[in-house]
Amino acid sequence: MLTATETDLIQIKNLSAKYGDREILKDISISVKAQECWAVLGPNGAGKSTFVKLIAGMLHQSSGSILVDGKSIHNYHAKRRAQLIAYVPQKPENKIPYSVYDFIMLGRYCLMGVLGIASEKDHAAVDEALTVCDVRHLAYRQMYTLSGGELQRVLLAGAVAQSSPILLLDEPTTFLDPAHDRLFFTALERLHAKRDLTVLMITHDINNAICQCTNIAVIKEGMLAFCGTTSEFKSQCPSILSSTFDIPFNQFVRNDTGTVIYGSWGVK
Amino acid sequence: MITSNKPVLIVALFAFIACAAVVICPLYGIVMISPVSILSNEELRYIFLTIRLPRTVVAMLAGGSLAVAGMVFQAIFRNPLADPYTLGVSSGASLGAAICITAGIGGSLFGLPFVIIGAFSGALCSVFLIYSFALSRDTNSSTLLLAGVIVATLCSGLIMFIHFTAGLHQSFQIVRWLMGSVDGVNYQLLITIGIPLAIFFAVIIPLMPQLDQFLTGDSIAHSRGVNLRASRILFITITALAVGAIVAVCGPIGFIGIIAPHACRLVIPGVRHRLLMVCSFLTGGTFLVITDTFARSIAPPSEIPVGIITAVVGGPIFLLLLFHRKSRLLV
Repeated sequence: MLTATETDLIQIKNLSAKYGDREILKDISISVKAQECWAVLGPNGAGKSTFVKLIAGMLHQSSGSILVDGKSIHNYHAKRRAQLIAYVPQKPENKIPYSVYDFIMLGRYCLMGVLGIASEKDHAAVDEALTVCDVRHLAYRQMYTLSGGELQRVLLAGAVAQSSPILLLDEPTTFLDPAHDRLFFTALERLHAKRDLTVLMITHDINNAICQCTNIAVIKEGMLAFCGTTSEFKSQCPSILSSTFDIPFNQFVRNDTGTVIYGSWGVK
Repeated sequence: MITSNKPVLIVALFAFIACAAVVICPLYGIVMISPVSILSNEELRYIFLTIRLPRTVVAMLAGGSLAVAGMVFQAIFRNPLADPYTLGVSSGASLGAAICITAGIGGSLFGLPFVIIGAFSGALCSVFLIYSFALSRDTNSSTLLLAGVIVATLCSGLIMFIHFTAGLHQSFQIVRWLMGSVDGVNYQLLITIGIPLAIFFAVIIPLMPQLDQFLTGDSIAHSRGVNLRASRILFITITALAVGAIVAVCGPIGFIGIIAPHACRLVIPGVRHRLLMVCSFLTGGTFLVITDTFARSIAPPSEIPVGIITAVVGGPIFLLLLFHRKSRLLV
C-alpha cells in the first residue's frame, strides 16, 4: 500500500498556519518514519489540534509543506487520503444516529466501491475491529447510548476498520476515567502489535507518552520546543516539562519497579 | 451480522401502498369512476387516463422528490428541521418562477421551459446564500433556520412587489400557483418535470454512502474520505434543480420534506440513507397523492389547491414529530 516506506512517511517542512491574522503554528519541521509512535505534548492552546488537523488535511497551511508518502496531503483524492490516514477526534461533534456495528462499517467507506455495498471482507474487517478494540458486546447498541469510555473505543474501532497505516489521535483519553484510559491504550497496544501502524497522538498524559511512544514532539506557543526520541526526551526531564508548562515538575520513583515518573504534584 | 429482513419487508410494504395509491386514487374525485366503467365508458376512461393518471403520477414524483430533497438537506446541514421549505429554497424558486410568469417568458431552452430555469436559478441563489451564511458562522440549527426564514421573507417581499406591478390576471395566476397544486397536469408536464427529477436521482443515488458519512460529523466524515465542500456543493446544486422543477410545475408545497423522512426514521431507526431514500420517496409520494385526492374531492365542484391541505395536515404532524422523543435525536 505504501510506496515510500524507506524514506519518511510523513514529512513536514517549515509548516505555518494562521486563523485570520493570528499565527497558530510557526515554522514546524518534523519527519515521521513508518511504524513510529509519536506523542505530541504541549500546553492548551499551543496549536496541537491544529497541527494534527493539518496532517489530516482538514485545514490548509499558510506556508510550508506536508508530504505524506511523498505527496502533498492536499493533492490526494479524498478516498485515497483516507486509505492512508485515519483520524480519531477527542469526541464526536454531534450525536451519531447509527448502531455501533453500522458506524464501524462506515469506516470502510474509502475501501468500498461507488455504491458502498459491504463485501465479506468488509464484514471481516469490522469483526476484527470489534475484537481488537474490545467492543464486541456493544455491537448492537446505538452510538448515542454509549458512555465516554465506550464511545472512544468505538471511534478507534471505526478508524481500525478503515485499515489506514497512519493513525492520528486527538487527546483520545482526555474525558476518560483511569480504568477506561487503560482499556483504550490496551486496545491501541494490541493494534500496534498486530499491524504496521504509524501513530501520532496528542496527549496530556506525559508518563503514558514516555512509556508507550517511540518519539515525542513538544509544541509551545505554536513553535516546536522539542522533537526527538523518547530517550532523548527523558534525558532532559523534568526541566523540559517545567519550561513547557511553566510550572515546576519533579520526578518520582516507583518502589516496585524503579520506573521514574514525572509530575507536578506537591511541588511548590 | 446485523442483517435482518425487517427493512426489506418495510420497503416492500411501502412500495405496495404507493402503487395502490397511484392506481386507486385516480378513481376518486368529483366524478367517481368504478374500475369496470374505465373499460366500458369512453368519457370516464378519458378522465382516468388523460386527466387524473398523469396528475397522480406527478403528485407521486413531486411528493417523493420533495421528501428526498428534505432528507438530503437534513443530512448535509446535519439539521433535522432542514427542508426545501424551511431553508427558503422553495421561496427562492417561487420568486424565480414568479418573475418568469409576470415577464410572460414562454418557450424553452434545451427542452427545459424557462419557468423551470427561473425556478431553478431562484432555488440555487437562495440555497447558496444560506450555505455561505452557514459556512461563515458555526452551523448551528437555529442560525441556519433563521437564515432560511430571512431568505424566505426577502423572497416573499419581492413576490409582493411583483404582485403590485403585475396586472390583476397575472396576479391571480401567481396567487393560485403559490398555493401549490398539481391540477392541469398533462403528459407533457409529466415529461417536463420527469427529466430534471431523473437527473436528480441519477446523480444522488450513487452518493448515498456520502450522506451516511455526513451524520458522523465533519471531522470524522472528512477523515473517512469525503470531500465535504465538493460534496455539499454538488448535493445543493442538484437538489436545487429538483426543487426548482417541482416548484415551477406544482408551486411551493410545504412540510413533505420534513414529515416523510422523519416518519420513516421513526419506523426504521438508525437507517442508512440508501434505504431511507427509498422509504422517504414512497412515503412523501403517497402522502401527496392522497392529499391531492382529498383536495379535488372534498369541496365539489371546485378543487382546493393541494398546498393548503399539506399545510393544514402537515403542520400538526410536524409539531407531533418535533415533540416526539425519538425524532429529536437527529435522524
